[in-house]
Amino acid sequence: MFIRRVVLGAAVTSLLPVASLAQQLAPSPTLDAIKARGHVECGVHLGLPGFSFANDKGEWSGIDVDYCRAVAAAVLGDAGKVKYTPTSVQQRWPVLQSGQVDLLSRNTTITFSRNASLGVNFQGINFYEGQTFVVRAKAGAKEPKDLDGATICVAAGSTEEKTAADWYAERKLKVTIINFQKNDDAIAAYDAGRCDAYTAGLGALAGQRIKLKETGEHLIMTETISNDPQGPVTRWGDERWQAVVRWTLNGTIAAEALGVTSRNVDEMKAKSTNAEVRRLLGVEGNFGQLLGLSNDWIYQVIKQVGNYGESYERTWAWARRSSLPAARTSCGRRVDCCTPRRSSESGIRDQVSGIRCRDSSFLLIPDP
Amino acid sequence: MSPVLAFVNNRRVRDVFWQIAVCATAAGLIAYFVRNASDNMAKAGIASGFDFLGRTSGIELPFLLTRYTPQSTILELLWAAVVNTMTVALVAILAATLLGFALGIARLSRNWLLSNLAGAYVEVVRNIPVLFFVLFWYFAVIAALPGPREAIGIFAVAFLSNRGLTVPTPQAAGAFSLAALDSVICVGAQIAIAAWARRRRERTSRGFPLWSSGAVLVAGVPLLAFAAAVAATPWDIPVLRGFNYRGGFVLIPEFVALVAALATYAAAFIAEIVRGGILAVPKGQLEAARALGLGPGQVLRLVVIPQALRVMVPPLTSQYLNVLKNSSLGAAIGFPELMNVFVGSALNITGQAVEIIAITLGIYLAIGLAVSALMNWYNARVALVTQ
Repeated sequence: MFIRRVVLGAAVTSLLPVASLAQQLAPSPTLDAIKARGHVECGVHLGLPGFSFANDKGEWSGIDVDYCRAVAAAVLGDAGKVKYTPTSVQQRWPVLQSGQVDLLSRNTTITFSRNASLGVNFQGINFYEGQTFVVRAKAGAKEPKDLDGATICVAAGSTEEKTAADWYAERKLKVTIINFQKNDDAIAAYDAGRCDAYTAGLGALAGQRIKLKETGEHLIMTETISNDPQGPVTRWGDERWQAVVRWTLNGTIAAEALGVTSRNVDEMKAKSTNAEVRRLLGVEGNFGQLLGLSNDWIYQVIKQVGNYGESYERTWAWARRSSLPAARTSCGRRVDCCTPRRSSESGIRDQVSGIRCRDSSFLLIPDP
Repeated sequence: MSPVLAFVNNRRVRDVFWQIAVCATAAGLIAYFVRNASDNMAKAGIASGFDFLGRTSGIELPFLLTRYTPQSTILELLWAAVVNTMTVALVAILAATLLGFALGIARLSRNWLLSNLAGAYVEVVRNIPVLFFVLFWYFAVIAALPGPREAIGIFAVAFLSNRGLTVPTPQAAGAFSLAALDSVICVGAQIAIAAWARRRRERTSRGFPLWSSGAVLVAGVPLLAFAAAVAATPWDIPVLRGFNYRGGFVLIPEFVALVAALATYAAAFIAEIVRGGILAVPKGQLEAARALGLGPGQVLRLVVIPQALRVMVPPLTSQYLNVLKNSSLGAAIGFPELMNVFVGSALNITGQAVEIIAITLGIYLAIGLAVSALMNWYNARVALVTQ
């Protein structure tokens, strides 16, 4: 960690004179386009409560939507200047690759092959998802392995489709998998009795459960069969824009770690003696300018959208209120719908609180 | 006139020149687009090329007529999907044609109730979007059937539930091949007997009990042979274990719903084509046929239909092509046809949109052109031979 700080510090220090002298920034067509048109084009899910969901007034909410708003606040100083493009599992890549949206913030799993062959980069993690199943409670299946012989509905082209096939094949269990074009088609078929189970991420299932006719008769399994970290996606090229997307997310997480919230951000900005807080909020240094943004970019994000924890609380509080029967007990404070991880990667204990469990010091802006 | 000017003004030379110019421009444009696309994809870091066809697919398909497994390659996945698309289209086209003919003829019936029912069917169905029709049939089929535990047993070997119709499969094909061979020989013999009887009738005007020999040779012996084959073959009989029946072959409800939707939808259009074709036969032909003493069935079979077919075949071709193309709506109900499997799953696994869309387009085009060619051949056969 020390070495990383030194390297980052050296890098930033060496850049400083250049930036302050002439503002010579790498060209960023995406940032220029956003500033010219006055809003951020954000690709979101068709409708998934908790992640991105439009209410009957057409107002979007969810953790992925909050992230779009944070980027708009960082770049344009106004979290409201976002245009949402709802995309299906299959549409999301062409929409991003063709430049129709500036970024995808759409509960999309980070995978190697997507990174390597689709021309996209993943800019961090805003949700630790894990794949599991919803079944009818009377079927008597408690764990994924109880589904031997079952028929499973899934959205075609999702990571869940392949993960489920691989998981059962590895255990020599036979399942029939029916692929639908959209998540909603797959849920409707499950609800109509075509399938014994519907599979998706635990967080996604928690939200999609409300689409079932008799919510109480269904059980969401607590055991997950995959680790699916999810986060915002950008296309290759335009490194400065990618840095903006990456550090907006890191900024919201750092703000939470430093105790900066939307309620106390003005006070912190005026009075905080903590050097990291002062740099984060643009009181010291000119870090925003290094990326071609205003120096108070993170201040705007925290003021208008809130830090990561606030965003999480706002978007997932309903999941705690609605009873998520089996999943709840084993989870931590902010993790209404997750289970402890058995295999831990760099100290990640569970899906969402993993963001906090992890050593977050690398997210902080180093000494100049 | 100078020889150069004569050459330039030569009509044949000019024709050839323009044809070459048009072809070269088209080829150049295509080459430019391909190159441009591949350059841009390389710049954007998007993988390209057709290597992905050799990769392991890892996708489970619920309805298979090939030997595909999730360990097979993406090329085999493509083939399985193409077979599924062609199967669904073929069955739907056959069913639509039968139903369409029946409806078209019923609409011309003198029976008021029958003709109005057929007319109402045509008017209602033609004005509903086909996707709605597919979803309606799908949820109707699923809702009508019980779960696997309450499955409807058919002689305790086949089971009908909302997981599909599970039927036993033979574990060896030997006995069936013998039975099929036996049937072919019998049918061949009946054809030979019929030809011989016809020649004899023309020569001596003595009849021959063709029906009796047909009953024995075409129905009796083959049925016995197949019954023997059924008894002699070990069967994989489905058994309810856990969630579902194990063993046997499953005809999934998605298949039934898609075929039913496509057939009942296309039938409405085919009915109108049939009606139009029949009405296009001049009235004098009917009157002449009746004057010759032909019965109503004979008039229809020998005079009306052969002449109506000429008018009907070209629009029928486009209906058949519509069925083929509409089979891609199977993606909405999870039937593993070309669109769902290749453009849905495979595209997302590989991310190679340009190649996959191009392959899919090419396949639909090839099947469509094949259907067209077949229908054109048939059209040439039934067309009026003019001097």
